[in-house]
Amino acid sequence: MRLAERGMPFVVALVAIAVGYGLSVGLDGYFVYLGMSAVVAGISLLGLGVVTGSAGMISLCQLTFGAVGAWTVSALNEAQAPGGFLTWLLLGGVAAGAVGVLVGLPALRLRGINLAVVTLGLAAAADLALVQLQFPGVSGGISVERPDAFSDDRSYFQLAVVVLVLCCLAVYFLRRGRWGSAWQAVAFSERGTAAAGTSVRTSKLTAFAVSATLGGISGGLLTGQVGLAFPASFTAIQSLALYVLAIMSGAHLIDMAVFGAVLWVGVPELLKRWGIPQDWGFVVFGVLGVQALASGGNLGTTVRQVWYRRSKKEPAKLDLAAGASTVEPVSPGPPVLTVRGLSVNFGHVAALSSVDIAVPEHGVLGVIGPNGAGKSTLVDAISGFLPNAEGSVELGGSPLTGSPSNRARAGLRRTFQQDRVPPGLTVGAYLKFLARRRLTADEIGEALDFFGCPAARTPLSQVDVGARRLVEVVGHLLARPRVLLLDEPAAGLPHEEHVAFGERLRQVPARFGVSVLLIEHDLDLVRSVCDTITVLDFGRVLASGPQAEVLADPAVLKAYMGETELL
Amino acid sequence: MLQGALAGLAAGGLYAVLAVCLTLMSRLVRVVNFAQSATGMFGCYVAVFLSVDLGLPMWLATIAGILLGGLLSALLGWIVSTWLAEADTGTRSAVTVAVLLLLISLSFILFGNKPQPFHPILDGPALTVGGVVISQVTVVTVALAVLVAVASRIVLSRTPAGVQLRALSERPTTAELLGIPAKRLSIAVWAVTGVVSTLVISIVAPSQSNDATSLAMLVVPASAAALLGGFRRLDLAVAGGLGLGLIQGAAAQVDGLSVVRYFLPFAVIVALLLWSQRKEVWDAAR
Repeated sequence: MRLAERGMPFVVALVAIAVGYGLSVGLDGYFVYLGMSAVVAGISLLGLGVVTGSAGMISLCQLTFGAVGAWTVSALNEAQAPGGFLTWLLLGGVAAGAVGVLVGLPALRLRGINLAVVTLGLAAAADLALVQLQFPGVSGGISVERPDAFSDDRSYFQLAVVVLVLCCLAVYFLRRGRWGSAWQAVAFSERGTAAAGTSVRTSKLTAFAVSATLGGISGGLLTGQVGLAFPASFTAIQSLALYVLAIMSGAHLIDMAVFGAVLWVGVPELLKRWGIPQDWGFVVFGVLGVQALASGGNLGTTVRQVWYRRSKKEPAKLDLAAGASTVEPVSPGPPVLTVRGLSVNFGHVAALSSVDIAVPEHGVLGVIGPNGAGKSTLVDAISGFLPNAEGSVELGGSPLTGSPSNRARAGLRRTFQQDRVPPGLTVGAYLKFLARRRLTADEIGEALDFFGCPAARTPLSQVDVGARRLVEVVGHLLARPRVLLLDEPAAGLPHEEHVAFGERLRQVPARFGVSVLLIEHDLDLVRSVCDTITVLDFGRVLASGPQAEVLADPAVLKAYMGETELL
Repeated sequence: MLQGALAGLAAGGLYAVLAVCLTLMSRLVRVVNFAQSATGMFGCYVAVFLSVDLGLPMWLATIAGILLGGLLSALLGWIVSTWLAEADTGTRSAVTVAVLLLLISLSFILFGNKPQPFHPILDGPALTVGGVVISQVTVVTVALAVLVAVASRIVLSRTPAGVQLRALSERPTTAELLGIPAKRLSIAVWAVTGVVSTLVISIVAPSQSNDATSLAMLVVPASAAALLGGFRRLDLAVAGGLGLGLIQGAAAQVDGLSVVRYFLPFAVIVALLLWSQRKEVWDAAR
């Protein structure tokens, strides 16, 4: 079964190459030429699928990267550089990727919309500049030689199909790997990505670089197809159109990128046959693009939904009912996470004022307090999301500083109150992404079972919100951090499950070797899990110490007066 | 050099007005409107068509074009605030990318891809400064940029509608619960910026390279200018637009910079982003 699954992409690839061969032999010469154009567009769209579809960024200069590829191939051809066309093609991709990184660098810390402005600016500038400069070799009429074995149209189409299939395979495996998970994660939540110890910038940059590389390869391939590259093939408007097409076809799905490419060539061709000006093609794309964005869907997901309708299931839920085997608890040791004098000010409002906290090794510290007491601010500050926080945080005796992803890698993980689980991944892929290490299937299965979570193969989009948050907890535990900060992990669960969840949580230090800081509103849960408790009120520590002592403190009782979950 | 810089000031005024519109849109209706100048372009083209082909008087055709620009923008605003009321800025802006494509292609279909025979609304020199002639277009666009920025500022800070708009932009849900007519106000913002951008483009287009693509792509230097104010500050948006126009005009005088000149808005955008993004920010409040 597993072997079949691993081999599947290669089988599909072979079938695709065979189909390509069949088309190259069976089709009329004109259609073979159109087919080449479709393949070229397909590679471009595949790239856009990575950057816009997976990583959720707006990139409007895909054909500028194509132009870089075309430029490289033309220049190498003019210079008669060694290696021949295929090497040049690859170099064109590399050059475009490098340009992509350069363009992406300033846009790194930005939300998608600034990247859109940057890329449109580049596309517009490159458009004008290309018209003035022209491609190398064009003035002298030195056309790009196709490789000897693929000199005629039919065989060049076969070559193009092979290149496309290789690109598809590359994208398929990248998407399944760490990079792909990071793209999905960063598209859904940058904070979630950073909390998993993955650099937000690197994730965005890799997506941008891969997309640009594919754009470059597509441009190089186009140069081989037409012989001489012209600026008219790489205008800003066509880049816009490709972007819109990627949105409307759902190009993050590989088959839909290919389908989009067929539309790219097919729609203008049909219009031509019907005697309609070809500019209407872009109008059609534009209208469908607006429709796709406004309805939040696209052709790709619609087709897939029709396909999978039979197997459509209820959202997967938690199953915490079954009693899991218990482990002997370990007695808490000396503090592993020490926070001293932590202060956070938002303007004139002091959200936290010199808070001291200590999480014991192999222990569970509960942090409670009324709404607005600064509990979530505490988690944000410790995990590095509030760089302006004052005070010191020590993990295992050494100071914990830097960005959230650095802190996560140093062994401090956190979860969020809101859903930060990227719906595009499966449970298993998400766990691997969070864990940042090799996991065996057994390890994953065991951890999921322990918390009653859905199986690893389940897509997260089919998991209900409460269960998603426990999947997040499981993933962070599998990362084996020293300390895990849980921000109201039980908030999405039905009340009966709180107790069962608490039982599991109690075993976490012994079972996973992780110490826990738990923020929770449900005092029953806190009471059943935490050895020590710290109470926050208006950003100050009201009381701290062993559970029974703290909960009997009159000051704590007073702070909780009026709260429904009164002791 | 100075001559060139001052010649670039007309374009600078245009950038500044568009940048103010972009800033208003970004602040008030959470959208970076990539179709900002394309809407204006389309309105102007229709105006040219009305006056050249249908023989309408110039002033009437121009007014019709400007109103159409506002209407188109309002329509787009209606679509965005109806179907994408809850969507993030990225998705809302992506729609305007599709509309940008749509309007450029439509103008190719309806009016061909040759530049249009624009008839200048304003013509001739206005004044001479130190031997350098400044055209009426320059004076009017620069004045318009300042005027629009100041007017927006006054409307936003002094009028009840302005207060409602600010409430809407800061806390959309709360504002709506207070009974502020969110959709109507948003569409009004779209309409007003549509009218303003069509107006300024119809003033400047006769003296610019005025094919559909160039006019629609004016959004690039305009967003570079808007970025100086971080899509939030109107005064900096105006300064950015005028500054960019001056630099571009000066660069146009130097032969060796001809290709580099195209990349100026892009370079400005990148430089501004590098500078303004020194501090890391996160995508959600918490």
